[in-house]
Amino acid sequence: MNPESLRYTMDHEWVGEQNGLCVVGITDYAQEQLGDVTYVELPKIGQRLKRGEEAAVVESVKAASDVYAPLSGEVAEINEQVENETDLVNRDPYGRGWFFKLKKYDAVEYAELMTYTAYRAFCQGR
Amino acid sequence: MRKTPLFESYARCGARVVDFHGWALPVQFSGIIEEHTATRTRAGLFDCSHMGEFIIRGEAGIAALDRMVIGDMVHLAAGRCRYTALLNDSGGIIDDCVALRLGPEELYLVTNAGPLDAVTAMFDTTIPGIESVYNRTAKLDLQGPQSRQILLELGLAGIAPLKYWSGTRCEWRGAEIIVSRAGYTGELGYELYLPAEMAADVWDAILAHSMAVPCGLGARDTLRTEMCYPLNGEDVDESRTPLEAGMERFIAWETDFPGKARLLEMRERGGYPLLTPVVSSDRRAPRHGFELRLDGRPVGAVTSGTFGPSVGRGVALAYLEAGAAVPGTCLSAGPKDMKITVAEVPVYKGGTCRVRLD
Repeated sequence: MNPESLRYTMDHEWVGEQNGLCVVGITDYAQEQLGDVTYVELPKIGQRLKRGEEAAVVESVKAASDVYAPLSGEVAEINEQVENETDLVNRDPYGRGWFFKLKKYDAVEYAELMTYTAYRAFCQGR
Repeated sequence: MRKTPLFESYARCGARVVDFHGWALPVQFSGIIEEHTATRTRAGLFDCSHMGEFIIRGEAGIAALDRMVIGDMVHLAAGRCRYTALLNDSGGIIDDCVALRLGPEELYLVTNAGPLDAVTAMFDTTIPGIESVYNRTAKLDLQGPQSRQILLELGLAGIAPLKYWSGTRCEWRGAEIIVSRAGYTGELGYELYLPAEMAADVWDAILAHSMAVPCGLGARDTLRTEMCYPLNGEDVDESRTPLEAGMERFIAWETDFPGKARLLEMRERGGYPLLTPVVSSDRRAPRHGFELRLDGRPVGAVTSGTFGPSVGRGVALAYLEAGAAVPGTCLSAGPKDMKITVAEVPVYKGGTCRVRLD
């Protein structure tokens, strides 16, 4: 997906609307900070997530971190390929490295997420 | 932050630099897993110039060091290296170090960066004839099955006769250097102790070889964890004795050292916790601080843990109650009850470090 058309959280997740679903992944900045990703645990299909709730786990050689739901919704699809080929998160964070897709998501919460410009400024300020 | 003589060289190799005990050092270049694999299969080049080097001249100084460490320094043969540890009065580990006997009256000692200021102060007041040389010494480690070939091609003939855990002084590129074959990765490898002003040229010359890859602290950590080598400040510190740290085979009980009475008593009584490797059932790693449980009962905690690229699983070192420190024991770890198993040392068994060379 084109990073410029995505929305972002302060926890370095990206969210993109696609065919009525919200696709969620972690940003290029996040994968860069993590280094080689070695393990990804995704939510279950049908799981209802509230914004800020723990949704997935991502581990790199050096660190383990939780991925939080950027907005509330119901898990419609998960990227099983990324659980087996964890380096997709490093190689293609906005494409084949996506984590899960949400349906029935909260449109207000979506609108509250950072734009590309805001997120870029947020990262530069760190 | 303090910088090694290779700081500028890292930048040219695309290093990500971090603060390690006050030193600006590369944590990775191309990526930890790639560097790790390069070291296991070809050769990895590590800048270890942050470490401490000392020369002790004279029998009195060597005898003084002998009284501070667990190993026998007096009878260490010329040309041999020995892993040892510096203890406080209660037998706690101040630092672990490598001694190289350069000759009958000369010993080279390599220590860690963390406790370096304290250790230097201690040595200066206790060991006659000791000189710290770390401010003018660069330490480059070339580790991996191709390391010998690379150095020989670069004309470092002095390494040719070195057996595992030996070292020597030799001439190379117009300077006097010290080389040893000890290592911290489990692979065949050499440590080069160079005049600081040589370091950048040697770094470039080695990396010009197609088999050599620059490596950072990240790969150094995954490599040593798979071999179950403890890291000072992480797995061993002054609250732990060499017995608990699994260093009993490095203790020369016939020599005197600080805390000996306490260690003898511990050994007599037995039942002390032991630094033990554990591996996970999948790619998740038990991390520093994770509690370990046997049938729900806490039996220890992880001191360092990481993904082990060569074993494809999480690997960690943990202090475990004696009863739980038995290979094959199944434990649960951390807040998510990760399944792990107590392993044997080393976790990675394919290392080339002991390879015999003709």
